[in-house]
Amino acid sequence: MSRPDKIPVSDRFFEIRFESIGGLGAHAAGQILGAAAVIRMGFNGAHFSSYGSEKKGTPVRSNVRIGPSDLPLRNAAPVEIPDVVVIFHELLLRNPATIAGVRSDSTVIYNAPQGIVPEMLKKLPKGTQVVRIDALKIAVEEKSRPNAVLLGTLSALFPFLTSKEVLGALCEEFAGKHPEAVASNERAFNRGGKEFEVLSGIGTGTADLPRLQTQPVWGWKTAPMGGALPTPGNSAWNDLTTSRMGFLPVLDQKKCINCGVCDLVCPDLCLVWEFEGTGKIPTKSKLKGVDYRYCKGCFRCVESCPTGAFSKEPETPGLADRTRIPQFPEFVK
Amino acid sequence: MSKTEIRTTPKGTAKQKQEFRSGNEAAAIAGKDIGFHVMGYFPITPSTEVAEGLAKMQANGEHDVVMIAGDGEHGAAGICYGAALGGGRVLNATSAQGILFAMEQLPVQSGTRQPMVLDIACRTVSAPLDIRGDHSDIYMALNTGWIMLLARDPQAAYDMNFCAVRIGEHKDVQLPVMVCYDGFFTSHQKRRLWVFDDPAAVKKFLGSRNAPMTALDPAHPVTFGPYMNDPDLINNKKQLSDAMEAARSVIPQVFKEFGELTGRFYPVLDEYRMADADSALVIANSAAETAKEVADRMRDKGNKVGVLSPNVLRPFPGDLFRAALKKTKACLIGDRADSYGGEGGNLTTEVRAAIQQDPDNHTRTISKIYGLGGRDFYAHDAEAFFAETIEAAKTGKVGKANDYYGLTEGEPSKHPAMGLPPLTTEEVTRHMAKVTVDETTGRLKVDLEPLWAMTAMPSRVAPGHGACPGCGIFPSLQQAYRVIDGDLIVLFHTGCAMVVTTGYPTTAHRITYVHNLFQNGAATLSGLVEMYHERSRRGELPNVKDPTFLMVSGDGGMDIGMGPTLGAAHRGHKMIVLEYDNQAYMNTGAQLSYETPMGHRTSTSEVGAKLPGKTYHHKDTVQMFAATHIPYVFQASEGYPEDFMRKMAKAQWYAKHEGFVFGKVLSYCPLNWRTADDAAQPVLQAAADSCFFPLYEVEKGKTTITYDPDAIGRRIPHSDWLKMMGKTRHLMKNEALLKEAQAEVDRRWRRLKAMHAHPEL
Repeated sequence: MSRPDKIPVSDRFFEIRFESIGGLGAHAAGQILGAAAVIRMGFNGAHFSSYGSEKKGTPVRSNVRIGPSDLPLRNAAPVEIPDVVVIFHELLLRNPATIAGVRSDSTVIYNAPQGIVPEMLKKLPKGTQVVRIDALKIAVEEKSRPNAVLLGTLSALFPFLTSKEVLGALCEEFAGKHPEAVASNERAFNRGGKEFEVLSGIGTGTADLPRLQTQPVWGWKTAPMGGALPTPGNSAWNDLTTSRMGFLPVLDQKKCINCGVCDLVCPDLCLVWEFEGTGKIPTKSKLKGVDYRYCKGCFRCVESCPTGAFSKEPETPGLADRTRIPQFPEFVK
Repeated sequence: MSKTEIRTTPKGTAKQKQEFRSGNEAAAIAGKDIGFHVMGYFPITPSTEVAEGLAKMQANGEHDVVMIAGDGEHGAAGICYGAALGGGRVLNATSAQGILFAMEQLPVQSGTRQPMVLDIACRTVSAPLDIRGDHSDIYMALNTGWIMLLARDPQAAYDMNFCAVRIGEHKDVQLPVMVCYDGFFTSHQKRRLWVFDDPAAVKKFLGSRNAPMTALDPAHPVTFGPYMNDPDLINNKKQLSDAMEAARSVIPQVFKEFGELTGRFYPVLDEYRMADADSALVIANSAAETAKEVADRMRDKGNKVGVLSPNVLRPFPGDLFRAALKKTKACLIGDRADSYGGEGGNLTTEVRAAIQQDPDNHTRTISKIYGLGGRDFYAHDAEAFFAETIEAAKTGKVGKANDYYGLTEGEPSKHPAMGLPPLTTEEVTRHMAKVTVDETTGRLKVDLEPLWAMTAMPSRVAPGHGACPGCGIFPSLQQAYRVIDGDLIVLFHTGCAMVVTTGYPTTAHRITYVHNLFQNGAATLSGLVEMYHERSRRGELPNVKDPTFLMVSGDGGMDIGMGPTLGAAHRGHKMIVLEYDNQAYMNTGAQLSYETPMGHRTSTSEVGAKLPGKTYHHKDTVQMFAATHIPYVFQASEGYPEDFMRKMAKAQWYAKHEGFVFGKVLSYCPLNWRTADDAAQPVLQAAADSCFFPLYEVEKGKTTITYDPDAIGRRIPHSDWLKMMGKTRHLMKNEALLKEAQAEVDRRWRRLKAMHAHPEL
């Protein structure tokens, strides 16, 4: 058991928050880091995630506390004022909650291709250290996952989280389930520790950011009685764009025979049609395209298409917004 | 010892080792280390991981606990009761609705004085359904005659299990014991955990259960549970009450012995910085630890504050509270659940009652209901509580004696998106399927419009739901809804379809939707159906135009829900029950349901050196409903939409004209079948082509196979389907099991074909 000489704080716990979406491995990252700190490095520590039901594609917040071995760990609440925030997907930076509680001496690590600096980052306090890493690209190249890359970056930036032990815990996690993945995770981790970019002059805020305040839209004076929702289909205002993992289905109308098979298998109800004829049964149906606001990128449409009209394409920046066909143009813009 | 000692390194006499584990994992490891004889359980978030952890260890041969998944929590409690009567050690784990569903059995267990251990990951009680933590479930259990230990963190969850065995089995006690830890805050939080590395020490501490009478001793026959009226019953209850009183002295003794063994000493009432405190915060479990952190800070500023948190809730340590609050001026009692109309939550009422017995105690009390439904308790919340208590101590006055904390009032101008325009009856009456009665056979014929034309049917489900990518539930719903004409009123059982469509304050349902729990969906919908008919008869619903009533169940909903659904079928209400069969409890993380086929891997039928996945065959719900002689029963697959849609059209016709319909549709679950998001079609096709999942119907008692892979030369071996899924790939190496599963598939298929061929079957 190695004991690092330096932990940035000694009278409290060093707090890390992973901001992610189900399926990207933030929960596993937190668990690996916590286990490395407690079992391998002899710190006291905790890890837990907050998320809804058991499903992919929904927001996940993974919390890690690491502190001196003899400091009792009492706080069971989520990390409010983080020393580090690790952001697994740049689109999470559309939500201010992602960077809630960040101080001028905190560090924000985010996953994005080179040159992408989301607007939200400007709200950070001036002194906050901002670090970018293209974890998705490295993960794809190394056949690993973004969490391995991001752990490498974190460990490089905070040497008290020794890369030997974090990598050790990471390999141990995969050794049982996917022994073939150990080498690729190791490469991804090491690249994460080298290929990050420290950005300067990003934050323009003059004060630390407030901690997360969850304020429901309805309150006890205004919510309908008994939890009832007199709001049919208002899930249509949800935006599920962040559920996609870098690819989307693209329709080639020239190949489409408008057979309707894709519409029977699309779980996300995001295909948009137009019709001819005045009766209840149309004389002709035409597939206009996809409302990418709802598409989670399962590609059942691609698989089911008898003519190859749908294809799986990389989601280049802006592609979805440019080619989206709104399903409820009068209501949901 | 008045403070819970959570040492950084163990100082006890037993050898221990360090782990990094959650509360649920801690309870599971305790289960293994204690070596219970039997665990009867039923999965429910957030306690499920206790059974999952034990299942995984069992698969690897790490323990011999017999794990029995009940057909519901009520059944699980029954399994535990029977096992306890057999004289061995018994474990169960549950939460929220699980406690309530098992509730009837809890006083049976205590009333017959059968010790066992029940781990509870505390969760809020439905409705509205919320999977996160508060204490409303354990408060419901306060009067059941069980000893209730509280475990404030994962270490305590581990430790209290050992103490629970000893306390419950003590000769003067002989009562069942609950170990209650906070759902998610503790159940899902990984912490440094010390576990025994010393089986001999554990064995010595626990000894063995010496039941004075057991149901497995034919030489000494005993009648358990005789019929008992007054004047005897009150005497029986006095015995129970005395046992609870005896526990008052047994518990500290056991805690002391455990402390010597492990270095971790638990007081009955944890008193933190109370010696000279004039302001106290009384609060239970995980929140108490956060409060202690804040108490330190308040003390640094010169405030005389302390924290009181019980480690034992039953028997209630009233005497210790009385002593601890002897000199305080004010205390705030935080209750993580309300006793509506009871002037404060249960902890409040009991603390007030305790100090009221001391005529010299003038402590002012404030009650706060906080943290409901898993609302986090942060340091600044504890600060607010202390500030109010200090103020009351200073002035001798309290504002509102009983109040809620952490509310949002809401602004009249603020509301969520108010939804899409309701679908009119006209819009959803398009006759995409034309149903006619075949005069010669008396059975129905269905003609479908082409699939491209069907795209014009407006969807009764809006997009924007939160299902996993590739989820099969929505294609199933979409296909069913396409052919149903007119107004449709649905009831969904708890499950993925329910959770992902109704995350407050949004709903994906554009039509009237009702949720009820697994047990009672069909009963609830049958009540609604009959109210519709009666109100229509009385002329009270002139604008309602003959709606169709549909219940949607899945995720194992036909386990707990089977009884009431069979009841509704026997009564013959005009309604449809559609089960999407995704082969396990997917909404809680893929635990086995009785629908899970043999050999399939789930999180409670793990695969390892000792276990090959689920050990028994799947339940054939379609045949069970066929046996109720309802007019129409079918089995379909979302991979065969036209076949499924024909059956749904018939279902609507029968539900309108004759009575109850049951249908089951095989529904793809890429996450837990461990398949690609886009592989639904080949996997579903193989399920049908291998005859594992035959497509057929039983119409007015006559069985008809609607897709016969033999007849068209598409029949494939069962293993061709199994090898496509991650959850069954391990079976490829298990010749014996493959053979047994193939034999069962063949047997059920031959039987079906025989029925298909026979004019009367």
